[in-house]
This record gives sequence, C-alpha cells and structure tokens, in this order.
Amino acid sequence: MAIMLALTFSAGPAASAAPATLKAPFASAASVVAQAAAKAPPGSVEVTLDQSQVTTTVGARLTVKSRIVNPGSVSTDSLVAHLNVASLDGVYVDLEDWSADVTRSLAPLAPGASTSLSWEFQAVNTGNFGVYVVVLPSRTDPAGTAPPVASSPVHVTVAGKPTLTAGGALPVVVLIPVLLGLAACAAWLRRRRGVRPGR
Amino acid sequence: MTTSVDGSVRPSASAEEPDRTGAPGWRVVAAQECRDLWVGGRGPVLLFAFSVLLSGVTYLAATNQVLNFLEQREAVNLTLEIAVAVGVLVTLVISADAVSGERERGTLENLLLAPVTRRAVVAGKLMAALSLWFAAFLVAVPYVWVLGWGVAIVGQALLLGFIVGTLLAVALAEVGLLISAVSNSNKVSLAVSLFLLLALFAPTQLPGGLPQGWFGDLLNVVNPVVAGMRYLTAVLVTGHAWTRDLAYLISPLVTAAVAGAILVLTADPIVRLSGGVNAG
Repeated sequence: MAIMLALTFSAGPAASAAPATLKAPFASAASVVAQAAAKAPPGSVEVTLDQSQVTTTVGARLTVKSRIVNPGSVSTDSLVAHLNVASLDGVYVDLEDWSADVTRSLAPLAPGASTSLSWEFQAVNTGNFGVYVVVLPSRTDPAGTAPPVASSPVHVTVAGKPTLTAGGALPVVVLIPVLLGLAACAAWLRRRRGVRPGR
Repeated sequence: MTTSVDGSVRPSASAEEPDRTGAPGWRVVAAQECRDLWVGGRGPVLLFAFSVLLSGVTYLAATNQVLNFLEQREAVNLTLEIAVAVGVLVTLVISADAVSGERERGTLENLLLAPVTRRAVVAGKLMAALSLWFAAFLVAVPYVWVLGWGVAIVGQALLLGFIVGTLLAVALAEVGLLISAVSNSNKVSLAVSLFLLLALFAPTQLPGGLPQGWFGDLLNVVNPVVAGMRYLTAVLVTGHAWTRDLAYLISPLVTAAVAGAILVLTADPIVRLSGGVNAG
C-alpha cells in the first residue's frame, strides 16, 4: 500500500553574500571564502512534502515524497538527504527494517531549482513514530561543517493487524502432510509386499 | 531410477511413431518413468517432505509474532516462492538422476535397447520429472489459499506461481538432464546440479531494494531463478501490473528454449552407456 504523505519545512535563512571588495594581502584567501560563500549551505534549502500525519497498519508500505528547493540567489553544493524514523513511545526502531534505502546524494541545486525524492518504507512496528528527512552538506562541500537541516516529522501512527491466525491455518497445516504421509506409507507398504511398479 | 523397460516398451522406432498400443515412444517412456516415480515411492515421499516444509512455513507466517508484521501479500509471496523453489529443486534432483542413475544401476542398457529414439527417452524422462513439479504445485495450492484468505490475490498468485514455476521447472529439469547425461557418475550429476541450483538461488536471498549498479541488475535479469522470483514479488507485493515486468520472464524462457534445443540436438551422442563428454 502506498500512502502519499505531505510535509513542508523551511530550512533556515539564506546564505550571506560574499564581500564585494577585499584588500590585496587577503585576496587569495578571500577568493576561497568567496567561492565557498557562493555555494549556499544546506540551511538555505526548503524541503516540501505534502502531509503531516498518517494512520496506518503494521506491514503497510508508505511513500514519503519530498521536494527540496533552493530559494536563494546562489547555488548549493552537493547535498545528502537522509530519511530517519524515531519512535515517540520509546520503542526500539531498527531503521534497516523500515527501509533499505535511506540515504541519497543530491546534485547541486541552482538558485530557484528544486529536486524531488521519493522515500519508500514499511511500517514494521506498532506505535507512534516521527518520520523526517535531514539534509546535510556533502563531504566535498567547502561548507561541510554547516549544521544539518531537519524537517518537521510526519507523525505516523501504526496499528497492529493480526490478519493471520493459527485457527485458519491449522487445518491445512496438519491435514495436508497427514494425507501425503499416508499416501507415502501406502506406497512403501505396496513396495514391501513385492508389488513392483509397472508390473 | 530403476526404469525397467520390459514388455511395455516395445513401441516404435521413433519418438513420433506409435507403438503397438498406439502411443508415441516418449509417452511410453514417460508413463513407465511416472509409474516408477509415483508407485515406486520416491514421488510420494518427496511430496510428503515438501508438504511438511510448507506447513512449517505457513504456520510460522500465520502465527509467529515476529513475522506477523508481514503484510498478507508478503506472506503469500514468501510461501509461493518457497513452494516454487523447493518444487523446482525436487524436479531438478529427479532429472539429475535420470540418465546417470540408470547408468550407474546398470539399467540404461535395457532402455537403450528398446526400440525408441534417445530423444524419446529424454523427453519421457523430462515429462516424468515435471510430473513432480505439477504435483508439488497442487500441494502448494491450499497453503497459498489459506494465507491469502481475505486479500484478492490468491488467484493471481496461483496463476503466476504456476507459470513462473513451470518455466523454471522445465528449464532446470532440462539442464539437470544434460548434466546427468554427460556425468560419469550419479554423485557427480547430483552434486553439480545442486551446486548449480544453490548458485542460482543464492542471489534471491540478498535484500531487495538496494541499489546494485548495472552489473547487479544485469545478473538479476540473466539469472532465471532470480528473475522469476523478482517477477513474482513485483506483481504480488509491489502491486505492479502483470505486464510491466514481463522482461523478467525472458531469462527463464530463453534458458528453457536453449537447454531444450541442446537436449534435442545432442540426445543421440550424449545418452549412452558411458558418461563423460568425450566418452565413446
């Protein structure tokens, strides 16, 4: 089951512009600073999703669609987006069980550009959870120490769904092997009595 | 396999010509092999073991608290995949024993002296091996039905399982027959066949959904077993239309066609008293 979620979060102020003029002794260092500043840190991006709450049952497959926008006037460097799940009830969450694909690399975003990401995961625990996306600068970004930007969480309420019961399965589980076992015994007895196949 | 080609195999000089009773040669061989398999006791015992395995899997999927988070579709898919995998396994085991087993037990000479072509012999043995797959699938039907109760995928699951499983069973039974025909001993034939099957099935245990790169994707498409299983999962669990991932079925189809063609073309030189590729 795929449920489309929507969530929006703003990710902080835009990057400050580089100084317009610099004195000669600091020119080379300043050019590096200026180049770094020309790349907006992840704090300048906005992530647009489409819902803030969902109620589902255990085992359901959910899809969170995110849209990351660079509203600033300078391009960002490459980014890393990460999906995370936190329990609001103290239940242990093994993220690996929820999704096998939680980290994505993003190409640099030009001013005004945006990119969309689709996150698919399966609700494998019951309870209340916050599902959110974090955007970080990539390792190669000169502004690599900028703080990550986290979205507001999608509140996911997962209810149990005991659809399979022993009562329903037991007759088949017991009856089929018993019947086939009897047939195998009959064939074995037939052989033992000397009835050769095909004769 | 102690195929005793006695009075019942006196038929035609070719696979197509009817024998004295009017049946083509391959059908006579198939009937004899099926009698040997089912009345002789091996078939019922294998089916019994198969049903015990499916019972365990079904019971766990239905009741285990840890597994209970599985969506019903996944429980159906899991059981169906195990049914197909083990059904194909027993079919391969029977076909891997078909020629080398007769050779080792000294009964192949009788069969080769019968007035049927070697293609007919191979075709008859293939049919007998496939009868085990069809029986295994019939046994799997109630398990899939009980797990899929309440979700409208039982019919679809059974139909797809039958198509994919039959393709895989035909392909691997033909490969097993080829291995059996060229093997010097039955042990070698069974060992090589089982190793091949494990090698083909191993990638199905890798977690799905992980990015694997183009080479990983290529291997998944080329491997008939992985391709077949991925097709089942794509339709039954992910909910794709049955036409969307049909490319996955190319690999099982091609394997069945190529192995079948090799069997037809090489049946005369490879089905003989001595094993080995160059044995004469």
